[in-house]
Amino acid sequence: MNRKRIKKIWVDQKVEKATLTSRLLDKLPGVPVEMVAGLEPVKREFRFSPDPVGESKQHLFITEQKSFIRPCPCTPGSVGCGYWTIDLDLNCPFDCSYCILQQYLNWQPLTVNVNREKLRAELESFFQRKADGIIRLGTGELADSLALDELTENSIFLVEAFRGQDRFWLELKSKSDHIRPLLEIKPADNVVLSWSLNPEAIIASEEKGTASLRERLRAAAKAVIHGYRVGFHFDPILHYPGWQADYERLVVEIFKVIPVEAITWVSLGSLRFPAALLPVARRRFPESRMCEQEFIRSAEGKYRYPRPVRLLLYRELGEMLAAYRAEDKIYLCMESVEVWREFLEKIKRGRRNFAFPFPWQG
Amino acid sequence: MAIRLIKPTEINLEDRRFRFTFNPVEERFLRSVKHIGVLQPVLITYREGKPVLVDGWKRVEAARVCGLEELLALEIDDQADDAEIFFLSFSINFSRRPFSLAEKSLAVRKFHDFGLRPADIIENLLPDLEIPPEQKTLEILLEISGLERWLEVIHRKDWKLGTAELLVTFPQEERLWLLQLVEKLTHSQQKEIIENFYSLKRKTEKSLEELARDEEIGEAVRRLLDGKIEAAGMLISVLRKLSSPTVWRLNEAISDRIKKLELPSEISLDFDRTLEKPSLKVALEVDSTRQLKEVIKDLSERLARPEWDGIFELLHYVGD
Repeated sequence: MNRKRIKKIWVDQKVEKATLTSRLLDKLPGVPVEMVAGLEPVKREFRFSPDPVGESKQHLFITEQKSFIRPCPCTPGSVGCGYWTIDLDLNCPFDCSYCILQQYLNWQPLTVNVNREKLRAELESFFQRKADGIIRLGTGELADSLALDELTENSIFLVEAFRGQDRFWLELKSKSDHIRPLLEIKPADNVVLSWSLNPEAIIASEEKGTASLRERLRAAAKAVIHGYRVGFHFDPILHYPGWQADYERLVVEIFKVIPVEAITWVSLGSLRFPAALLPVARRRFPESRMCEQEFIRSAEGKYRYPRPVRLLLYRELGEMLAAYRAEDKIYLCMESVEVWREFLEKIKRGRRNFAFPFPWQG
Repeated sequence: MAIRLIKPTEINLEDRRFRFTFNPVEERFLRSVKHIGVLQPVLITYREGKPVLVDGWKRVEAARVCGLEELLALEIDDQADDAEIFFLSFSINFSRRPFSLAEKSLAVRKFHDFGLRPADIIENLLPDLEIPPEQKTLEILLEISGLERWLEVIHRKDWKLGTAELLVTFPQEERLWLLQLVEKLTHSQQKEIIENFYSLKRKTEKSLEELARDEEIGEAVRRLLDGKIEAAGMLISVLRKLSSPTVWRLNEAISDRIKKLELPSEISLDFDRTLEKPSLKVALEVDSTRQLKEVIKDLSERLARPEWDGIFELLHYVGD
């Protein structure tokens, strides 16, 4: 995170005296600070900006939250993967043209919740209540897990909270290469560092402010050497002229530096977004042609590529990954039963019926 | 405020500085005015010594149509400035009914031109109008307000902000062309045509004029501009084909094979036009066990036709 990009820090009066608040302020010297009695005055500031979403990404709001853990909502009509999200930070300094947070978070500034003790208690209770099987949890749903990590060091707190909880796997999902704090601690077997990946041309045009492909893969390689498990998310996969060659090169690049054994899971998810994102994305990214492809409106109201196109994307990528013996690590994100079935018939060749439970879940 | 009687013809209806509403005088209101006249006073003020209407446009119009000689009018002090008087006009109407997007845009334009600061419009006025309170929506509303006579079309068809936002991304000449093209259509047709042209234009980087050179688009456009509104369906179909070629092609091919099966009227086949479900729905309509047996037998015999496999292959097609 380029600290120069934070224009102002807003501190919720409720956490004025919290230790983490002081630590965050110390790490951002020279940035104007204002105490506020909640979120509304912060959001009001953005109304007059020609780009409120972009503006919200340059303001840091330090606050607290009542609860953190919730089941991943997935999407109606799709096959869920049993994931749980930890909403520790909200919003992201990166500016991806397709990101649903632009619309979903409604101008929420970069938000850091400092009441970690509440999260610790919630996690302890969660670890006791959830008795069966392996459960995956992650912080990458409403934020990038590592984008602000050099500031917050949330990763260290979380890894320590999960250490020894073998049935609970923590995923830290990112488009950054900010893993320095994680390399300074002992890795944990139930922690997976994962990266969302796209071809370099897409990163350059649609994922503003993120680490390049090479930087992400270099970070992943360092994580593997340090002893972490890693995961990759081809999400969103974009369909455009020349996509096959671009994704093929991307897969080759991965396996140049990452051994297949170090990879815990690979998800595939094609571009999808709620209708309300369309005007926001078109307004904010006039150069992008991402929204001008062929879409259908699915039953849950989202724009998606038509099923024949989605299946083509998944099959091709599945074959590319299978060439490196990674096919059993693949799962689809937010896809219908029909697409799962047709995908698995082709890629898994009948060896397994489904991705879940994962092979390591027994 | 003083009350007086005024001749409807004395009011210059061309001076619309305080008008931002569009609803025309309805027949029922005219009938009421014919029977009992206009009981509620209109609101006027004076500019350069002449009466200017602030509120009561429909009442004055109805009075004129019905040939009333006089109307009750409340006079606002002519020392009050335009901004104060417009606020009064806006507030009176605000309590009566929700405004259309066209009316909202015109009200915002007038507040803006009468000197209300953009920040105040965003913070105080837009939330009252149930419009997202941000700079960009203010800009869109101001743009829309400049569409003059087309505002009435936007009002009548009850446009939403999203359609208006797309429209203002087109250059002025193209906006007017589009409005002329869709003027007489339903709002959903207008919306779909504008959205598809927007998307096609971005995808192909062609102007609307260039897009209209396409044979099929051109034909539908010519007919629509000639006032043949049934050509709207044709235009929408062509635009769908261009913006969604894979789905369109598969739909056509599946429908064609279903047609070739020449099924009797008791058997109907249907499928999900979005192609999300790769299955075929088979429906039988019978009114007796005997007929059901016959229809099933007929259907079984027809299963030897190669079109069936063709249909399922198309439903399971993978590709772009």
